[in-house]
Amino acid sequence: MSDSRNAESSLALNRRDFLLLAGAATLLSAAGPSPGTVPASRRRMLQVNGYATDAETPLDALTTYITPNDLFFVRHHWNPTYQDVRRWALSVDGEVERPLHLTLADLKQLPRASATCVLQCAGNGRALHKPIVPGVQWKYGAVGNARWTGVRVKELLDRAGLKGTARHLHTFGADKPPVKTPPFHRSIELEKILADGIVAYEMNGEPLMPLHGAPARLVVPGWAGDHWMKWLERLSAQPEPQKGFYMETAYKYPKQPGEPGATFKPEEMTPVTDLFVKSNIAEAPSHARVGSSVTLRGFAFSGAPDVAKVEVSDDGGGNWRSAELGAEHDPYAWRLWSFRYEPKVAGEVTLVARATDSRGGVQPKDAVWNQSGYLYNGWHSAKLEVTA
Amino acid sequence: MRRRTLIAAFFAIPVALFLCLPAGTSAAAKKPKKPGRAKPVPVNFDTRLPVLGTRLAEFPPGDGKAIADGACLACHSTDMVRQQRLTEKQWTANVTKMVGWGAEVPETKREALIAYLVKNFGPDNDRFEPVVTRPVGR
Repeated sequence: MSDSRNAESSLALNRRDFLLLAGAATLLSAAGPSPGTVPASRRRMLQVNGYATDAETPLDALTTYITPNDLFFVRHHWNPTYQDVRRWALSVDGEVERPLHLTLADLKQLPRASATCVLQCAGNGRALHKPIVPGVQWKYGAVGNARWTGVRVKELLDRAGLKGTARHLHTFGADKPPVKTPPFHRSIELEKILADGIVAYEMNGEPLMPLHGAPARLVVPGWAGDHWMKWLERLSAQPEPQKGFYMETAYKYPKQPGEPGATFKPEEMTPVTDLFVKSNIAEAPSHARVGSSVTLRGFAFSGAPDVAKVEVSDDGGGNWRSAELGAEHDPYAWRLWSFRYEPKVAGEVTLVARATDSRGGVQPKDAVWNQSGYLYNGWHSAKLEVTA
Repeated sequence: MRRRTLIAAFFAIPVALFLCLPAGTSAAAKKPKKPGRAKPVPVNFDTRLPVLGTRLAEFPPGDGKAIADGACLACHSTDMVRQQRLTEKQWTANVTKMVGWGAEVPETKREALIAYLVKNFGPDNDRFEPVVTRPVGR
């Protein structure tokens, strides 16, 4: 943003000078090191389902503010039918005055909107719950931070003429379930989706990849991935929430924590919406020497718009010291952090990290166990072997 | 003053760029671009890694393997099953759910399937290791 403002002011001074400066800046950026890139040795994925494709990002590749598209986790419920962009169109219907039918070219004619924010699968960390729960056994990497660009949902609904009777936006993707499997149909309260929802057709400045939901997907900043409908083809404004397995049974979380292993009744559950405050250690050395400092790096995010602090403890949470937060941040994006640690004594040390968000939410030592394994956010630790 | 700085930058940048070039290279040694040829994508990952979704393991041998093959593999790879570490109660509930969603399990083979799943993918079995693959779309 500040770069473009500088460019505009230069243009106002002298066009020739500006062109010279712009050229020089391009040359310099091409010649210098490329910060924020993932080394080739770490550029890989962890396949947890060959088909329908599910793959998570290794933690040591989640070290950049923007997660590259080809290292971004993939979650499919079933084998999708990839859309032919030339025939694809998005319908907007239901409780509206003027139903819309928009091709990708139509969408791109509308005012562009962008958001840099975290996308995390609701089940990220499921494998860390004890007792074990069924489902895709994600560990840490079903999460990433990207810049999403498209059209605000509010823009679309304003053009369609939203009626006062509408309360929920039903969302439909093009993926079709096999045999008798229920369809992955969802809905979101209008209050949330009108506030900051985007129908995105670009991810990090590139057209969405088919695996990430091309030609367009929903972006719901601060909310879990089950709301971010991929291969989007229809939005329907309705008075009532969507029904079906993926609204009434799945993606529910206990209203009150219970004992690990306890089964909750439907009335004791509430829909998964906001992400929980969470920090992960992405890079940590395994060895250190007494008196020599080492650096831990990681990322932290929340369903609150920002992360207030990340702290690290070497005594199991008795004492905490603040990590340094990265300068880059956007609403509902993650904050990178780093922490210099100088061990005082030899032996094995366990370092744990916890985040606190801008609403005062503190990452708990233990995540709340739930029968579907959603939103794991217990403290993340790293072991360090210290020699004299 | 600004113009003088810009002129200095105009000459200094190419010099700086030249100094940054690795030994043995020069602008003159560069091959001229052939028109119409697509810019090659730099290989920045280990090319020995498999493409995502191409390495598909089989279910372990045993009495229930054929039943599991027929019931599970139409919708997902064995990964989805092999990563689970479930109790008999949990496997029974999951088989019931999957049969309801269309998995083909003859009633006479249901018990054998559950026994096979518990034996091979129960709480005490070895940990599942995901397949390490290339980046997405590579």
